[in-house]
Amino acid sequence: MSKNGLKLAILCCNYTNLSDREDFLEIPVNLEIKRFPCSGKIEITDMLRALREGAKGVMVAGCLPGTCHNGRGSERAEKRVLGAQKIIEEIGLESERIKMFFVDRLDGGDFIEKAKAFYKDILNLELKEREKK
Amino acid sequence: MIIAERRPIPEILANIENYEKVLVLGCRGCVAVCSAGGDREVAIMAEAIRLARSLQGKPIEVLEATFIRQCDPEYLEPLKGFKDEVEAVVSLACGVGVNLIADLYPDVRVYPGVDTTFYGANLALGEWVEKCRGCGDCIIDKTGGLCPIARCAKNLLNGPCGGSQEGRCEVRKDMPCIWHEIVERLKARGELERLMEIWEPKDWRPAGGDGLRVRIREDLRLNGGK
Amino acid sequence: MEGKSHLESLLEAGKFVVTAEIGPPRNADPEVIKKKAKILKGYVDAVNITDCQTAVVRVSSMASAVLIMSEGLEPVMQMTCRDRNRIGIQADLLGASTLGIKNLLCLTGDHPKFGNHPEAKPVFDLDSVQLLRLVKGLNEGRFENGEEIKGKRPYFFLGAAENPFAEPFDFRPYRLAKKVNAGARFIQTQIIYNVEKFRKFMEKCKELGLLERVYILAGITPPKSLAMAKYMKYHVPGLEVPDEVIKRLEDAKDKKEEGIQIAVDIIQQVREIPGVCGVHIMAIEWEEAVPEIVKRAGLYPRDGVPEFTPPFVVEKVVEKVVEKPVEVIVEKIVEKPVEVIVEKVIEKEVPLEGEMADEKIFTLIEILSDLKASLKNIKAGMESLEEGIARLEEEFLKKKEARPVIKEVVRKPEEKPKPEVKPEVKIEEKPEVKVEVKVEEIKPKEELKIEEKPVVEEKPIIEEKPEVKAVPEEKPEEKLEVKPEIKPEVKIEAKPEAIKIGGLKGIYRPLSERAKNIPQDLYLEKATGEIKEVVIGKGDKVIKVGGVSGLNFHFFEGEMRNGVKFALEILDVKPEDWPESLAKYYSDVFHDPALWAKKCVEEYGAEAVCLYLVGTDPNFLNLPPDHAKKITEAVAKAVDVPLIIWGSGNAEKDVEVLREVADIVGERGAVIGPIVEANHRTLAAVAMGYNLPVIASSPIDVNLAKQLNILLENMGLSLDKILMDPSIGALGYGLEYTYSVMERIRLAALFAQDTKLQVPFICSIGKEVWKTKEAGLPTDDLMGEAESRGILMEALTGVTLALAGGDLLIMRHPKAVELCKELFKGLSLS
Repeated sequence: MSKNGLKLAILCCNYTNLSDREDFLEIPVNLEIKRFPCSGKIEITDMLRALREGAKGVMVAGCLPGTCHNGRGSERAEKRVLGAQKIIEEIGLESERIKMFFVDRLDGGDFIEKAKAFYKDILNLELKEREKK
Repeated sequence: MIIAERRPIPEILANIENYEKVLVLGCRGCVAVCSAGGDREVAIMAEAIRLARSLQGKPIEVLEATFIRQCDPEYLEPLKGFKDEVEAVVSLACGVGVNLIADLYPDVRVYPGVDTTFYGANLALGEWVEKCRGCGDCIIDKTGGLCPIARCAKNLLNGPCGGSQEGRCEVRKDMPCIWHEIVERLKARGELERLMEIWEPKDWRPAGGDGLRVRIREDLRLNGGK
Repeated sequence: MEGKSHLESLLEAGKFVVTAEIGPPRNADPEVIKKKAKILKGYVDAVNITDCQTAVVRVSSMASAVLIMSEGLEPVMQMTCRDRNRIGIQADLLGASTLGIKNLLCLTGDHPKFGNHPEAKPVFDLDSVQLLRLVKGLNEGRFENGEEIKGKRPYFFLGAAENPFAEPFDFRPYRLAKKVNAGARFIQTQIIYNVEKFRKFMEKCKELGLLERVYILAGITPPKSLAMAKYMKYHVPGLEVPDEVIKRLEDAKDKKEEGIQIAVDIIQQVREIPGVCGVHIMAIEWEEAVPEIVKRAGLYPRDGVPEFTPPFVVEKVVEKVVEKPVEVIVEKIVEKPVEVIVEKVIEKEVPLEGEMADEKIFTLIEILSDLKASLKNIKAGMESLEEGIARLEEEFLKKKEARPVIKEVVRKPEEKPKPEVKPEVKIEEKPEVKVEVKVEEIKPKEELKIEEKPVVEEKPIIEEKPEVKAVPEEKPEEKLEVKPEIKPEVKIEAKPEAIKIGGLKGIYRPLSERAKNIPQDLYLEKATGEIKEVVIGKGDKVIKVGGVSGLNFHFFEGEMRNGVKFALEILDVKPEDWPESLAKYYSDVFHDPALWAKKCVEEYGAEAVCLYLVGTDPNFLNLPPDHAKKITEAVAKAVDVPLIIWGSGNAEKDVEVLREVADIVGERGAVIGPIVEANHRTLAAVAMGYNLPVIASSPIDVNLAKQLNILLENMGLSLDKILMDPSIGALGYGLEYTYSVMERIRLAALFAQDTKLQVPFICSIGKEVWKTKEAGLPTDDLMGEAESRGILMEALTGVTLALAGGDLLIMRHPKAVELCKELFKGLSLS
């Protein structure tokens, strides 16, 4: 599939699913996958930086609650996403551009489905923006 | 500790609109503990400013630094190294830090990055509540350690008022009526009669009614304070 | 002691006293206060003047006290600690004393948060106990700082308030003791409904030896309506309203009458309690009730009259003043003192020598006389207007008489115990149409009594000819044509068309003609503000609400650009409690909200549809957000008119549900709500995310409504995306209270530039009306025909709220909507 110039970032835990770039080929975007030791280590700054570096959406993925390697790392990530959403809203971006996803550690299909859904949301936002212009 | 809260980013952006290089300056004192102005918040604020400006098509260079304290002149010394390098400073310290920078470095354009809100305690992660108002004349020896000046919406000294219901304050229903707690506490201690005395009107001068509050300890001053 | 007050003398003489309360107006009209004083005169011994009660700006207590004195009533000035520090308080007290005010009630005061300037800095330099002590000091000749008052001292008969029901309950008598020790000589208590609890409080006071030291006046308030009683019960902190009082009001036919009787009963009960020296009647915005209560309680006539010299009285204004050019008046005033404009200065003259004789006094007198003169003109104008209205009414009435309605009614057999067995009632419309008697199958052998009964309708809604039809006493099954409710899947063949709306037939005379004898500026008061316009929906079916620049239907003053809009309400699940008279219009589509919505639009011409997601209510079916999502999707597909999505009203659940739903209706520009204070943050964010208008729902209160708008605006939601839901009450269930609150909101928005209230109203009428008992009762002699009753109740509620400012009405019965529209058309003739 050809890429449509859109850039998305996936920030996720090293243990959350082993799906890799090839697995996401169905999604026609320029995808950047950044892995962290734990989703609890993903900082608000990482999310903001991804946006500044050109991503139109940031998908933060962590393990399903209760399955985190470090206990409650993915719950922390969820809270940080809230913090980041507040900041980008203040700046004038839609909060949906950063979103938390809990994904199954083994089922790659789940991860990919969620990524697809997120891509669609972001695409809609982009289309709306273009309409405005 | 002093509790502060991040100011709305659009206001900070408006203040530094015309600059191309600024310093976001944190403080490792109270504001770091209450997660408003420590290293992590400095990084977030700096990144947020960069992102916002690049979205506006006016990229900005943002330096980051965090001092041990901003309320002591000696800890502000390192600012000298930055002041010619940047056009403005966004300080995430409480109002004391911002004022001191403004006092000591009149040529530095310093802008507040947080709203300084109150003196409070950290009750749980992400939850701070006011406990003291710094009124300069402590009275909580008479109220079982609970302060009606800070914690009663009407600063009553002869409470509780008629709006106390189910132990809650009518002004802030999510907060306890502090006078209710004072009565209950003194009753449990068998000291209720202390509340039967009529409390004299408070002298508000130590609370700031007398102009700027200054404290001087001659036993500590050297060189006449210079 | 020199110059005891009338109140003090009576109490010292052991008389049982009566005091009342007046809330000064929120404008500079002295007549409002005087009028209230006139109502009370002769029935009470003294009148309290509140000091900006509930922290809302009003005429000051001191100025009002002076006005009351000019009417011959003795004031009890109230003084709070909220707005003045000890300097201001003492200055005002000296001033009050110079004006002859002798009774003073010392209060801490309501917090500004509850008022109309919540941003104000609360002062609270002192509290009520300290204030009492301060005034006691003034009485004894020293200021708060201990300095001696040189010269004449003030003298006040000092009072305080106490709430016997506030917590901690057992500390209250001690706090009262504290107030007595501080100098309180009389106490006015919080409103008493729970007499038993008050009795306990009084016993404790007796134990503490307080009854010999202080006069206690019991606080009495007649509940003006059931809604008010409920409001006090649930929303006013520190006020206990027992269920019994609520029940009495519920059962009463005439709520006001019952309210007065409740007050009288409580007076009689508290009178028996040792130590109660009088009553303090607080008839909130209902001063007229006081004389009746006093009379019935056997407290009339009152002993003696207060003796005092009012500081100044302005009476008998020379009317020519108004006609003269202003410059002349000013000249004259400067030349001569008061006599020029005031024919008679009663009693003692104002000492005008020295600095008193400055221009301010003249200006005041000038304003007062101008006001009086123009008031007379207004009065004449009002009479003219009333005449016109009376004529108009006559026309309506005539029509009413000309069109009696006789209906055929099937009575429910009395022995039938099960409520679900409802014989269907069909009202004849045209003689050609056959009577359809629908009886459920369940009990076919029940005997049916058939009666013929003429019913005269209040309003000309039913156009039909008297027709008598006997229904044979055979098995009803043979005549069964329609079986609603039991089998909704059966398609109804005959559409329910029993009720037909007639038009208005009066002759319209334009206002310009009716008011031709009145100068326009006397009745014309153009609004200075305008209600924002909210756009609902997208595309060519879009509707706009609001955009009003005058009171609704005051076309001579302003515009109603968009008129009053209607939405028909549908539910996400099959309704359980809809009366048959309403259900029959929709029972064929109850199973499918999409079809239902379609029917509303296609058959009943709805310009908007409100989907009420009642099924998601955790206290009802607790259906998941997915269900709401599915239903909304189907409805959105089925119709293209604007949608209103109304959540269950559970703050938490609505967040989950509306977040999902917003995703679907985002592109439709549908309205979502209700947003309440508890969930405004998340839901405002959701609404902004999809750029949707919202319903801001607050419990029937001007300030709460305003506060929610402010909160939403602070979240970044612009005011033109907000529809206010003031939480309405149906006819007989607090409609008048709703009306008054909505009217006050609208007046503030239009005339007081209260920008935060310049938002259209959305009124969910159907929900409230059709859940009332009266809307569901079957047809019988007493209550009349069921369907017209329901329609009338819904239409009346709708019309009333539209007059109060309602911009978008959500209703259920198609005929009620039709009726409203007909009436609005009539109202829109000018």
